[in-house]
Order: sequence, then structure tokens, then C-alpha cells
Amino acid sequence: MAIIQRELRHELRSRKAWLAIVLYTGSTVYISYLGLQGYTDTATHNAVFWLLIIFISMFATSGSFAGRDSEMFYIYTLVSPSRFILARLLYNGIFLLSVSLLAFICFQFFVGFGDTNQVLFLAALLLTVWGISSLLTMSFSIASKGGGGFTLMAIISFPLLVPLLITAQHLSEMAVAGSDTSGYGGYVTVLLALDGMIAALCYLLFPYLWRD
Amino acid sequence: MIKRDIFSKSWWKYLCIIFLTYTVIAGFLMPVPALEILHETIRNLYFHVCMWFSMMFILTVSLVYSLKYLNKPNEDYDIIASQSSYTGLMFGVLGLATGSLWARYTWGAWWTNDPKLNGAAIALLSYFAYVVLRNAMDDEQKRARISAVYNIFAYAMMMVFIMIYPRLKEVDSLHPGNGGNPGFNQYDLDSHMRLVFYPAVIGWLLLCSWIASINIRTERIKRHLANQ
Repeated sequence: MAIIQRELRHELRSRKAWLAIVLYTGSTVYISYLGLQGYTDTATHNAVFWLLIIFISMFATSGSFAGRDSEMFYIYTLVSPSRFILARLLYNGIFLLSVSLLAFICFQFFVGFGDTNQVLFLAALLLTVWGISSLLTMSFSIASKGGGGFTLMAIISFPLLVPLLITAQHLSEMAVAGSDTSGYGGYVTVLLALDGMIAALCYLLFPYLWRD
Repeated sequence: MIKRDIFSKSWWKYLCIIFLTYTVIAGFLMPVPALEILHETIRNLYFHVCMWFSMMFILTVSLVYSLKYLNKPNEDYDIIASQSSYTGLMFGVLGLATGSLWARYTWGAWWTNDPKLNGAAIALLSYFAYVVLRNAMDDEQKRARISAVYNIFAYAMMMVFIMIYPRLKEVDSLHPGNGGNPGFNQYDLDSHMRLVFYPAVIGWLLLCSWIASINIRTERIKRHLANQ
């Protein structure tokens, strides 16, 4: 808990970081709004939205890790790796969820999905972003140990993100434009299973990245 | 410094040659059921499907040795894990190539938006990322540990995407046995084809292990020379 509090305080204190993420979200949504002029079908909007979500997540996660090496060393001596990764997963999940919610609101405001089933769409967003945040947390830990930085993180995380994204896209396609939503159960189960599996793997494997 | 283990035995390599020679000869000459659309391309079953079986097998070996490495750091485990996954990558590329050829003559396109194809592409991309990740690190122990962690992660994601996802009822697929389609074995894999298919699977699995064992032994020698 203390770690989450500390992270939150750290994040809130650095207004610049927050402003950067909000600005990034707003401007990418606006660019996609400009690019989507003339495309009226909701399937295209849906696809673009999920692309935005990946890029915003990558940007937000890497920002929250950058320049923290000296602090990390201090944390190493205080807590056990499994407690640390749990706190980190929770914090990053909440953080990315709020950022993606912001992206969703902006996207609704500028572009819109038509007649959306909000509950189903938000459920898809919640489940997917939670998975993405755990996956990116782990990929970033691997990449930073590998000394490769952002490029390496992108290379190792993109292929692993695809299962989540494809499922999310199928699920949210049901939610937009009032199409038939009867078959959502299978996709929700897959998303839940993926989230659970990713979290379990992070919890079990993180201690091996920690040891140095 | 030469290790005497199953890799240096030769009986299973002769077995591999016999099985694969049989596969190629019988695979092209034995009668096959005359089916709509598939026609003679059904013979690709002896090659395409076996590539994926071999890939899954050797990647599972790689996973097991990655787990063993994390449990007990031993340089040899790292060599086996890494070389096995490189071999698996090669078989994955061959599986895509044979599958692409088959798709062209039955479904009409080299590449289709099929959940199995997406899964295969993702699997290959994540194992290419494994190669990149390994090359990014110089320190041997660190490289071994971190790539083992990534290997386990990638394998788990791949299994979900290749084995579970295409079997969902909601997913459309052109592959037999997926998305509500009947599997091959249910109706048209007749006894003639089984006579070739089972030896083919064993033959390709042995070839896969053979290639992996050569890679592993070469890497052992390289590391040994580098340490001198």
C-alpha cells in the first residue's frame, strides 16, 4: 500500500508528466479525428480507437518508469519483489485505466461511435487496458534489464499485446453501432483468462528479474 | 569436454531418415481420398501439419529448459532452451510457407485473416523478439535469466492464442476443426492417410530434434572455446 501511495504522490506532484500524457491523449485523438474525416462507418472508428489505446498506453507506461533507477535501488532494499510487483501492477492498472477513460471520453466527443452500448464497451476497455498495463509493466521490466530502452520494449511487447487487442476489438465491435451482442460471453471469458494469466505470470516471474 | 548423451547416439537419426524417406515416397504416391476443393493438395497434410507439431514440440522443450534454468541456473539449460527456440522458429517459418502455399490453392489467397494464421504470425513475431532480446544483452548469466523469463511469458501467450482462441464458437475460421468446422480426422483422414501421417509426424519430430541437437552441440563448443 505504501508503495502505491508513494507512486501516486510522485505522479501527482510531477504536474509536467500528467500534462504531457493528457496532451498526448488529446492531440492523438484530435489527429485521428482529422484523419477520419469522411469515414463514417463505426468499425473503422473502433479499429482506430484501439490503435490509439496501444500508443497512449506505451507512452504513459514508459513515462511512469523513466528516470527512476536511483530510486529503484532504494526500493530494492525495502520490500520483497512480489509485494513490489503487486503494488506496481495495481498502480499502473489504475493509472492506465484513468488515461484510457480520458481517451474514450475525448474520442466520443470528437469522433463518436454512433449508437454505442456503453456498458459493454467500457467493460471491454476495462478488461483490455488492465491486461495491457500488466503486460507493459512486465515488458518494461524485461526491456530495462536488457538495457534496450523503449525500442526493445516495443519489439517485445507488441506481439504479446495482439491477443488482447484482437479480442477487445471483436468485443467492442459488438458494442458499437447497436449490433447483435448475444455472443459476448466467449470474448469476455478470453479477456478475463488473459488478464488472470498475465497477472499470475508477472507475480511468479518478476522475482527472477529482480535478483542481480 | 564432449558430452556423451542422447544427442551423440546415432540410432534415432537412422530412424528419422527411414521415416522421412517413407513419408516423401508414400506421401506423393499413395492413394488419397478425392475430395472437393482439396484434391491432391491434401498430401500437404504430411508436411504442413507436421511442421507445426514439430514447432510446438521443440518450443515446449525450450520452455521446459527455461523453467529448469530459473529453478537452477546452469549454463547448459540456457543453451538447450535458446537453441531449441531458434529451431522452433525455423519450423514455424516452414509451417507458414507450406500453409501459405496450401491456402493459395484451396482458399484462393496466400494469406487470409484466419485466427490460426494470426496466431502463427504472433507466435513467430514473439520468438523473433526473443532473438532480438538475447542479442541485446552481453552478460551471459543475465541474458540467460531474462530471456528465460521472456520465453515463459511468450509461450503462455502463444498457447492461448494458438490453442484456445481459434476454438471459440464465435470465431470464424477456414481451418478444419476450428470455428465450428469439422476436423480432418472426423471424416476424411482414412486409413490410407493414417498409414503415412503417423510415421510422417514421428519422422519430422525426429528431424526437428536432430537439427536442434546439432545447434545445441555447436553452441556448446562455441561457449567452450570462448571460455578458454
